[in-house]
Formats: sequence, C-alpha cells, structure tokens
Amino acid sequence: MIKAKINNLLIEVNDGVSILEAAKKAQIKIPTLCKHPDLPPGAGCGLCIVRIKGTPKMLRACCTPLEEGMEITTHDPEIVAVRRTVLELILSNHPNDCLQCGRNNNCELQTLVADFGIRDESFQKFLPNVAKDDSTRTIVLDAQKCIRCGRCVTVCQEMQNVWALSFLDRGFCTRISPAGDIKLADSPCIRCGQCSNHCPTGAIVELDETARVWEALQDEDKYCVVQIAPAVRVAIGEAFGYPIGTNLTKKLYALLRRLGFKAVFDTNFGADVTIMEEGSEFIQRYAHGKGTLPLITSCCPGWVDFMEKFHPDMINYFSSCKSPHEIVGVLAKTYYAQKKNIDPKKIVVVSIMPCTAKKNEIIRCEEMYASGCQDVDVALTTRELARMIKQAGIDFNNLPDEEADQMLGDYTGAGVIFGTTGGVMEAALRSAYFMLNGKNMEKIELNQIRGLEGVKVAEIQINGKKIRVAVAHGLNHVEYVLDKIRKAEKDGTEMPYHFVEVMACLGGCVGGGGQPYGVTDELRTKRAAGIYQNDENCKQRCSHENPFVQQLYKEFLGSPLGEKSEHLLHTHYRARPVYSK
Amino acid sequence: MDQKIVFIKDTGIENDRTKDYYALFLNLLRENSLEDQVQINRVADIGIYNQGLVVKIFEQDVIYANVKEEQIKEIVLKTIKEGKVIKELLFQSPPKQLRIVLRNCGEIDPENIDEYIAKDGYQALNKAVQENKPEKIIEELKKSGLRGRGGAGFPTWLKWKLTRETPEAQKYVICNADEGDPGAYMDRGVLEGDPHSVIEGLILAGFAIGANKGYFYVRAEYPLAVQRVELALAQAYDHGLLGKNILGSNFNFEIDIRLGAGAFVCGEETALIASIEGRRGTPRPRPPYPSVKGLWDKPTAINNVETLANIAPIILKGGDWYAAIGTEKSKGTKVFALTGKVKNSGLVEVPMGITLREIVYDIGGGMISSKGIKAVQTGGPSGGVIPQEYLDTPVDYENLQKLGSIMGSGGMIVMDEDDCMVDIAKFYLGFCVDESCGKCVPCRIGGYQMLALLDKITEGQGKLEDIEKLKRIALAMQKASLCALGQTAANPVVSTLKYFFAEYQDHIVDKKCRSHKCKHLLNYSIIQDKCKRCRVCLINCPVNAISGDKEQGFLVDPKICIRCGKCYEVCKFNAIAKE
Amino acid sequence: MIKLTKNDLDKIKAAHQDDGRDWIKVGMSTCGIAAGADKVYALFVEEIKKRKLDIQIKKCGCQGMCYSEPSVEVRVKGLPDVIYGKVDKEGVIKILDKHICGNTLVKDSIYELRTKR
Repeated sequence: MIKAKINNLLIEVNDGVSILEAAKKAQIKIPTLCKHPDLPPGAGCGLCIVRIKGTPKMLRACCTPLEEGMEITTHDPEIVAVRRTVLELILSNHPNDCLQCGRNNNCELQTLVADFGIRDESFQKFLPNVAKDDSTRTIVLDAQKCIRCGRCVTVCQEMQNVWALSFLDRGFCTRISPAGDIKLADSPCIRCGQCSNHCPTGAIVELDETARVWEALQDEDKYCVVQIAPAVRVAIGEAFGYPIGTNLTKKLYALLRRLGFKAVFDTNFGADVTIMEEGSEFIQRYAHGKGTLPLITSCCPGWVDFMEKFHPDMINYFSSCKSPHEIVGVLAKTYYAQKKNIDPKKIVVVSIMPCTAKKNEIIRCEEMYASGCQDVDVALTTRELARMIKQAGIDFNNLPDEEADQMLGDYTGAGVIFGTTGGVMEAALRSAYFMLNGKNMEKIELNQIRGLEGVKVAEIQINGKKIRVAVAHGLNHVEYVLDKIRKAEKDGTEMPYHFVEVMACLGGCVGGGGQPYGVTDELRTKRAAGIYQNDENCKQRCSHENPFVQQLYKEFLGSPLGEKSEHLLHTHYRARPVYSK
Repeated sequence: MDQKIVFIKDTGIENDRTKDYYALFLNLLRENSLEDQVQINRVADIGIYNQGLVVKIFEQDVIYANVKEEQIKEIVLKTIKEGKVIKELLFQSPPKQLRIVLRNCGEIDPENIDEYIAKDGYQALNKAVQENKPEKIIEELKKSGLRGRGGAGFPTWLKWKLTRETPEAQKYVICNADEGDPGAYMDRGVLEGDPHSVIEGLILAGFAIGANKGYFYVRAEYPLAVQRVELALAQAYDHGLLGKNILGSNFNFEIDIRLGAGAFVCGEETALIASIEGRRGTPRPRPPYPSVKGLWDKPTAINNVETLANIAPIILKGGDWYAAIGTEKSKGTKVFALTGKVKNSGLVEVPMGITLREIVYDIGGGMISSKGIKAVQTGGPSGGVIPQEYLDTPVDYENLQKLGSIMGSGGMIVMDEDDCMVDIAKFYLGFCVDESCGKCVPCRIGGYQMLALLDKITEGQGKLEDIEKLKRIALAMQKASLCALGQTAANPVVSTLKYFFAEYQDHIVDKKCRSHKCKHLLNYSIIQDKCKRCRVCLINCPVNAISGDKEQGFLVDPKICIRCGKCYEVCKFNAIAKE
Repeated sequence: MIKLTKNDLDKIKAAHQDDGRDWIKVGMSTCGIAAGADKVYALFVEEIKKRKLDIQIKKCGCQGMCYSEPSVEVRVKGLPDVIYGKVDKEGVIKILDKHICGNTLVKDSIYELRTKR
C-alpha cells in the first residue's frame, strides 16, 4: 500500500495505481481526453497534468504512478490555466460542428469545454482538410473531428489486434487513417466499432441508418418487423437514466410497437434456434465423429470477419450456423410470412443490435439472402435506437410492459445469455448435455466460463467424459487459443479443446461497439448481471425447451441440420484478403 | 637541415599587414645574412587572435604576440640570430582546447582499428574485463562526475547503476547517434573520425550494466558515419573485441546498427526505443524509465555518442583525473559545433567552465565581419539565445540553464547584428513544429499556433496581445508536453522574448525589422541621387515592380514588390535603399 | 577471426609507433569530402606514384577545422608538422613541389601549426 497526499488529503492506494485513479479516492476528477479505463495511458492530450511537490515540472496524472509520500496538487490557478490553454488549442484544431455532430450532447470534448466555460476562440482556426470515410457503411471516420487522443488506434491495434487504424503523417498533420491511406473498407477493419465506442468526440461514429427505418415505417406497402438482441435490453436504459444493467425487454417491446412495427420479435428466439443447430453440430462432431473438433462459434460477425481475414486456417472448425438475428430474419421472411400469409418481399426486418458489425453481416454473402430477398434489411445499434425513441417523443420510462409477438418472440434463459461472453458456450452446453444425456444438467449455471477474464477455460463432465471448452473475448485474447489448436494440429496431439467460443468485443455483446458510450469493465459486469438475472427469471432456461422452437421444427424446419435448416440457417466461410486493394 | 623556421601572422582585427611584416622580416634577414639559415613563413591562421603581429619560432618553441613593427629587428637579432628569448614579447596562454572526446579525431585513420589500438585503444576494455568488477567501472564514473552529453546532463554513473540494479537477465545498451539539432555535428565528427572510441565506450557500458547486446542508432542522413561504424564493428568482431569471450574473458557482447529514418524526435530515448522496435517513433510516458523498462521492455541504458567516447579515457586514467577538469558540478570537457557568424567554424572541445567569450574569440577567432556580436544560441531548438552581455558566463549545465538556454548536445551558433531575433525564434520553432511527432496536444497544436503568431509578427500583422498569446501557449507547452522536445520547443521564443523584447516591439508597433531580415517589413526604394538610370534593376526585377524611364528616373512600386532583394543585389551604384 | 589478448594489443601498439617515415594525411570526414578532400586525396596518390616519392598518404577524420577544409597535414622530417587548409588541386602540387620535394613550407596556406612534436 502507498500513502500519499492529494490536495492535502491523506490517501492510501495499491502499488502502481496512477495519480489519476488515486485522485478519485480523494473525490477528485482530473480531466482527461485520452485516458480511457479500458486502455493503457496514451499521454496524448496533456490535460491531466498535476503538480508534485519537489518537481518543477507538471506531470501527467494518467501515467504517473502514485509514490509513497508524494504531495500532489491537482488543481491550482496555474494548472487550470494550462489546462484551459490546452483545451483552447484542441478547439483551434476542431470544427465547430457540435450541432450536427453524432456526439452532440454526448461528447467528452464538448463537456470539458462547457465545464471550463470557454467563450471565445483565442487562437486561429486550423482545420485539417480530410474527407469523411464512410466506405464501410457501418462506421464513419471523420478525421477532421479527431483530437489524436489515440484511443481508437490503441483499441484497434492492442485490444482488437486488427491494426486497421493507425496514425499517419506527423506533427500538425498527424491523422488517423488505415495504413497506406486507403479506405477503411479496404483495410483489415472488421467493423467491430470499438473505435467508435472509445472515441471521445465525433470522429468515429456508427453510420446512422435511422432515416431508412423511419422511411420503411411510413411506407404502407411495407410490413416492418423488428427484433432486439440480448445485450440491447440491458444497455438501452443508460440513455434514459436507468441504473446500469436494468433489463428493459418488455418496455422495448411496447416501445417498438408504438414506433410502428407490425411485429416485435426477439433475437433471443433466434439464439435458441442457433443452439439447436450448433448444439447438434457439436454432437455430430463430438459424438459421431463427423467433422473436426474443436467446434468454434460463429455468431459474432466481427469474429467471423477477423477469422476470414487473419485465420482462414480455422474455417473447418467453424460452426456453419448463422447468427441469431440472421436466423430470425430468414424465419420472418419464410416461416412467419407463410403462416401469416404475407408477401416476404413486403417484410422489412430491422435488427436492433449492440453491434456495428451486424450492419455489415447482413450483406456479407449470398446465404444472407436465403429467404429469397435480403433476410435482415437494416441493423441499427443501441445508440441509434435511443435516438429514435427520443425523436418519436415517447416517454420511455413510463411505458407499460408488453410481450413479444409469437412464433419468433419467446425465448429461454439460454437465448438471452448470448449477449455476454461465455453465454453462447453455456447455452450450447446446456442443450448438448441434454442431447447426450437425455436430461438437463443439475446445476445449469456454468460459473467457470462467466466473467471478464480474457480467456476462460473449463472442463465439463458429460456422461463421464470431459468436454474441454475455451471462451475468449476481445480479439487480442484469441491468438492464445488458436495457437494451442495450431500446435496440437502440427504435433498431431489431442486437441486442447472440444468447443471454443469467441466474441470480438471485450465482455461480449454487452460491451459491443454499438452500445451506449462510456463502457468500462464495471459497466460490462453490470450489463452482464442484468442478462444473467433475466436468464434466472426465465421459466425455461434451455433452448431445446422453448415450445416455439419445438413448434418451428415440427411445423417447418424438420430437424436440426436437416435439409431445410441447412438451407436457411447455415452459411459458409472463405478466406478473405486482409487488404482488399 | 638546420634551418630555423619562423611563422608570422598579423592577427589584428584591422586590415591584415602580414605581407608588410613579411617583407620587413626578409629584409632584416638579408641584412644580417641570415636568409639561408631561416625559413620565414606567412601562415593563414596561427591559432591566436586579436594579438597584433604574432611570431612563432619553431624549434625554440617561442611565441611572441603584439609585436610592434619596430620590435621585429630585435627579434631577428636576439632570438633568431642569438637564440635569446625576449621576455616582454612572450605570449603565454594555456591552450584553450582540451581534447578527450576528439583525442583521435584527425589523428588516426578511422578505418583502421590498429591505429586506434596504437593510441591505447581497447586498453580500457582490457582493464575492465581482466579486473572483472563492473561495479568498479560505475564507481569510477561516479568519481569522474561525467554527465550525459546528449542534452539533459543526467549523471551517467547513475543511469548505469539503475540499469545494472534492475533485476532482469536480458539488458541492452544503446548508443544514441541520432544527432539532429540544426547546426550541430559533434557526434558525426566523432563517429567519422574515431568510431572505435564510441564502440569501446558502448562495450564498456554493456559490461558495466550486465548487457550482452548493444545497438547503434545512427541517423541515416549520416551515410559516412554509418559506413565507418559498420566497418569498425566488422573489424572489432574480426579482432574478437566483439563476440564471445572478449579479450580472453568470459564476457560476451554484440553490437548491431539501426538506422534512424530522419525523425528528430527519435533522438528522445523512448521514441528511439520505439523506432528500434519497429514502431512509430513517438515518445511514451516515463516512468517507467528505460533503465527499468526499455528496449523490448528490458532494462536499457541509452547514452549519447560523446558520453560514450569519454568512457575509455576515464577508465584508463581514473575518475579523479576527469573530475579535475571542469567546474564543480559540470566535469570534463564538452564538444561544441561552433558555427554562425564566427571566423573559424568547426568542432571545438573545451573544458567545462570556459567562457563563451573565450570560445568565440580565442578559439573561433572572433566575428567573421565587423558587425557586432548580438547573441550566442546554444542547445539547438531546445535551447535559447544568450545575449552578448552574458558572454563572460562560464559554460556549464547550470549556468546556461539559468540564462534560459541549455547546454544541449553542443550546437553553438554565433549571431550578429544581421540576425533578427524574431526570425531566429521562428526558425527554431519552425524546426520543432516540423519535427513534432504529433502525439500530444501542447506540442502538436501549440507549436503550430505559436509559429502562426510569429509569422504574423514577422509579416507586420502582429498585435501586442499576440505576445501574451505566445507566452500563454509557451507555458502550456513547457508544462503539459509529454517529452523534452515539446517541453523545450518554446524556449527559443521565450528566451528571445526575455532578452530581445524590443525587437518584437519593433516588428509589432513600428513594423520594422532592424536586421532587415523579415522581408515583409522591408521596403526597397531607389535613391534618385545615386541612380545612374542604367535600368539594371528594372531588367532584373522578377515581378516588374520597377518602372520609369531614363528621363524621369525609376521607382519601386511597394505593392508589386515581393522583397526578393534582387535590385539591391544587382545595383552597382548602391542606389537601392533597403529599410 | 583473431582473438586478441592484452599482449596482442600491446604488440599492435608497438608496431604502429612512429617509423620515421614522412606522411601526408587528408581529413576525410563529411565536411572534408564535401569541400573536395576526396579529389585532393586522389591527386596526392596519383602524383606520389608519378613522382615515385617515398611518402605515406593517409586518411583521417575531422580535425575540427571545418572552415578550412579540405585540410591536409604534412610531416616531413626536419620541418614542423603543419596543417594546410583550403587545399585545392594547385595546393596539392604546391605542397608536393615545395614542402615535400623542396623542404620549404607553402606560404599563406597553413592553418594550424603543430609545433610540438
């Protein structure tokens, strides 16, 4: 433990804690625009400077560890004056576009400028002449609004190991861009959107497609249906003042109906179907020796893109099963359309997702058009939905609870936990156990694979046999798992795992790139807790128990991995170039 | 051959009368029938300045200075003929330069390791590995008081001790040869003239801290230095001075070269490390210091070329010997690249504590023209200007800092009345703006904004409130920049504001540049009395700003004139006024 | 590869001590080469060969006298060591004719005296 004084208050913190963190203990918030709790200090903005007794310099609080006996001043007139100058310098290089900006009212720079009460522009305005890059059709890079804090670059390179974004040029001309100054769409970018989620300003935002949805909702010729992903329900409340992790599923159903959707489905239903397919796939490979182990999950489009670009040697291990919202999409335009006698061409499927990569997934290959037309028409992020709610003037907080529409709306606890790391694996194992044993596990919660550890490894006993599983999230953790598989491949030894789950974003979808801003581990944990709570409250907690799923197979699909299922619910993968130009 | 050899040179500032004196000498020698026994020689430079006629008599090793015309006869008769010394004329001044770092530069063939060995090369390494007490080397360095010559002046022994004491099996040493200050080329001189002295220093550093791998980080713009270091390394490997079991000991050490791609900021140690690792060359926060977490996260000692060239002599001659040179807090010698408006530009190595005046006048030979000295700039773009009234300040780390400049790596630029201090500040700041890595706001945007303000001022658009803005940004840069480049980039502006505020006022209030440097503030006009109507200015003006005819005379239109100065240059009658 | 020992270092040192031969040394660092030292060096080599002179021609680094490059240091027995500065082609010929062959120092070209030998 280290004892030191911050603004004359004696505080005690663990060894290695930065002054910025330590100051929170003294109820002091030191301003910063580059330090993010997820990331190592970048030391770029220069706002977090503090004074340490005995040193003439001012030091950065974000990257200076507190040391025994330090006496720190976090605020005095000179420090504040320097911070103010630095802020004004940032403003001199930032457009005054606040009103039209994707981060208006939710921008870290804007907030600080307001806090500092900056009323004039002291310095001449110099704006970089760089065009917006919306080539990915998922996230929009507006380098002119970039304050070069480096968060996105660190996220892309270190947290996600994608290396799509980097700094180009130097000095005043430094800017973020894919290496080689190419378009983001031609870069290794996997559209995970973590950059947009960590950006303090509006330099990287999701492509706003709410207008397309409004248009479809207005069109009397269209039949708009909607589905919400598991992680959305526990995050949307953050935009409306709810405690973090509050499960708002039923309010969302009500809301979506009021927005004008004719049917409100739940992606969790699709997740239950996924488990039927993927679980069966696993049993086939594991128990019947058809196909290779380990089976690797495929419901995360960021991960699929990453694998196809960087690890195509893993294609054979991949589950061919589509992701839950694609399953709901295709079923809406086939099964639902038939039952309700609606022309599938008139159906517009909107997915509300915690994810920016979903915007890309819906057009990723021909199997996404299995219904005969595009299975999911628009994927909106949680952030976009929050804006739609506000535009519609709906008093979200006081909405009554409603239920989802039947056939594609009811879900089990296994379906909802898809929204957090370890959830897909847990859900699959619940059903795999049943398929192998004929009965459910005694203890249905698999705590070994819950939580925020980067790689979680566990052994599950089924029928006296051990099933080895690995769960990784945050793409920088994936290499560890893949290398073990590759080594076993090379050495001809037994595979280290039978089943592997990967989600591209830290924490899984609860920490997705389309979720409300300001994500931290604390937030991820709370959102995940909301999801697990929802699971516990479900009457059925295993996908195979979902009566509507059972009905679906009986009436429409036949059996898992059957001909119709293969046609509608499965896809395939191919190696893609890391750089497409 | 028993000829006496006499060298003469008139070192006065006024017109050089060496030739007259030469004739006098010749006559006197002839009169005394000495012409066959004496060879008299006029030299271009005798190494003494502003001491009138200087006469050096070879063999007797006698130097006379301030010799009056009438005293020549006495010299010929007494000293040359009879071998008697004339005490009153003797010039006695200890040599101003002391060469430790440059001990072999210009002496030995840098491409031949044997010549280095012949100058006691690698004896220090031998001594170290035979004794096999690395701590003793650090102890000796502590005694010597050697401080890092790269600029900041951190005690070398402490850096080594900290690196040595970090518990880690793999450690590295790096020679920082990414010299980049404008006008500074000390390291280039050493690497090109005596690469082995630096290599030996680096091996000793490795031995002292317990590293078995070293890197030379040399800027690619020094191709000859790179070539010579490569050759020297190959020779050292060939001779078993690098590799396994060096000099029969169990010490193994290897050195590789890495080339810097031209970024000034890569001279900053954490950026340099990033660059060697193959990453973007940007500084990272310290702590952790490289001595704890450096190259590939291993403890690393980074030393500048000049620092390393000092190591072998210290080990051989002892720390006490070194500590006897210099001042109380700044020991040893410092190499400076003396440039600017000084007669003898070049590399000089002087003991710490020598005054700027001695460097400029006694070694540099004084000013190149009759224009008065205005200031000396030290420390490159991180330094400041020292006005001529402080020329008698003894040069050491602390004194220069007190004056608002820094020792820096050793650039020393002499400025005269033709140098505009606002323009100088703009030049150095412009350099830092170009070379900023762009990582942190104060340096990236602050520097750019300051430069824009200086541009405004030198273009005659400045306002007095701009001075306040300059000061405000300078403070933010000094306090909130991440690395030394940003923290010091405003120094040239701050120090010129401090000492030459009047020049800023000239530019802002009177719209005048007293040094006629800032071309936007210049006005060219034709002095009609002197003009011979030759039309040369009109023909040469690139923008046709001059009009008129032979009857009416010619005029410069200031609205068209681009202040290129062509008319001023071409006029043979000094009929163009520049003000 | 030779493995040097302390003895070898001493031997090399002894072997390289002054052998009494005359020599010419040209400063061949960047500053010198930029001012034409390589041409000066080449001309010396050529002329020494042509004239069959018994004099060594050597290279060295920068002597620090950048203002007087190319610089050439000459040692001829009986004369003091001197450094000639701003040596050009004519300078080379003058040094060879006068200093080396004629035992007379070249006027107005000496930039540094190394009076103590």
